[in-house]
Amino acid sequence: MLRAALPILLLFALWEAAVIGLAIDPFYLPSIRVVAAAMQAQAPFYLDAYLVTLSEAALGFAMGGLVGVGSALLFTRLPVVKDMVLPIFIVSQTVPVIAFGAIVVLWFGNTLMAKAAIAFYLTFFPVTINTLAGIAAVDPRQVALLRSFGARQGAIMRKLLLPSALPRIFTALRLSASLALAGAIVGEWFGATRGVGAMLLAAMFNEQIVSLWASILVAAAVGGTLFAAVALAERAMVFWREEL
Amino acid sequence: MKLSISGVGKNFGAVRALDRVDLDIAPGEFVTLIGPSGCGKSTLFNMLAGLLEPDAGGSILLDGKAGALLGRTAFMPQRDLLLPWRNVLDNALLPCEIEGLPRASSRARAEKMAVDFGLRGFEKHYPQQLSGGMRQRVALMRTFMFERDLMLLDEPFGALDALTRSMMQRWLLDIWERYRRTILFITHDIDEAIFLADRVVVMSTRPGRIKLDRPIELPRPRDAHLLTAPEFTAIKRELLDAVEEESLKSFSA
Repeated sequence: MLRAALPILLLFALWEAAVIGLAIDPFYLPSIRVVAAAMQAQAPFYLDAYLVTLSEAALGFAMGGLVGVGSALLFTRLPVVKDMVLPIFIVSQTVPVIAFGAIVVLWFGNTLMAKAAIAFYLTFFPVTINTLAGIAAVDPRQVALLRSFGARQGAIMRKLLLPSALPRIFTALRLSASLALAGAIVGEWFGATRGVGAMLLAAMFNEQIVSLWASILVAAAVGGTLFAAVALAERAMVFWREEL
Repeated sequence: MKLSISGVGKNFGAVRALDRVDLDIAPGEFVTLIGPSGCGKSTLFNMLAGLLEPDAGGSILLDGKAGALLGRTAFMPQRDLLLPWRNVLDNALLPCEIEGLPRASSRARAEKMAVDFGLRGFEKHYPQQLSGGMRQRVALMRTFMFERDLMLLDEPFGALDALTRSMMQRWLLDIWERYRRTILFITHDIDEAIFLADRVVVMSTRPGRIKLDRPIELPRPRDAHLLTAPEFTAIKRELLDAVEEESLKSFSA
């Protein structure tokens, strides 16, 4: 905890020193103390934005993770499905998410689900690809050993392929955590009134520089929360990795 | 369990890996298999484990019966292949889980067996915390937990240093006498082959055939002094000649 907090405090100190030392115009970079004071003054407002965006991103992230791992397992089990569906996955990723934004809001309305859907869209693919890569890297002799014990596909999947792929899955999940946040923020740009994305837009259009920086800090807090959750889960589930 | 192999061959594309192999193994027998590298020993093992089909014409009978071999023999590959996320006991329990045996009784059996395998006090350790010799004992214990009368051990001590290896050999004989399984054991090491076996089978260079089938009538229990006894050396010379001849062939081929 302290190890994570120290660099952040150091960064804030540098920020403050630069603002004072170089006499930077507050329009370009306001003092961190001013930003912090503004956040404190409107704490419930910022907390609401944090919680709204966090739940959107977390929901999309969870769906992306489940679909990503699930699709990779399905593809491994049924290569025919992989040959049919994986190209569609790849094509889907060539379309920038922003092009879909308006459609998604049209479908889901201005709901939590609309933002989560966009976050999902950004997150599932890296997880699918990394899970597939993790499964492909399993030693075939290991598979042969399990088969010699009479193991069928399902048992090989559960007891060998999935756990072996966990390190790669978590690599993808860490990447997906920040993508999910980006997705949620983009989703909010299509007419949302709450959340970090909505706050960013409002601050930008009204040239409220302090509020803009405050929104950025809240976005960082959401990203940090997601990332920390993934890192904790990884430490619990892939405890054997560092000793490999 | 009685194993009868007759006329078993295997082609991989145009390469003839194994030529008509005939071999009978009696219940409770310890047979070691030596031969130059690439002679098809591992191919034979994979077929006995049911991982590979022999070519048409060959037959592998267990107790006189043919049929699917997968899951009927306890196979131990060259590398220990322990799962890093399972501790010693859970690694040894893997085959029992796959078989769907009741968990509590398997666990009790494993805890008792861990003592014989010198793993007492290490049940909760993870593979990466163990020495090479210990990992190999865990892999061997996993093979014993998969209770099949025929055990196929593919160079289980190949990666160990000489000292650990000779300790493991004596220990394996001890375990074998206690559990009385039929063992077919691949090795590159002639001393090891003679020291362990009731019979040493020498395979020819590719395409693999049985070149020599030599009963070893040395008394049991055997200890390290046997390695320097004259009757041991005589057998060794005989086997060396056969193996050398084959190795030379594989070089000139």
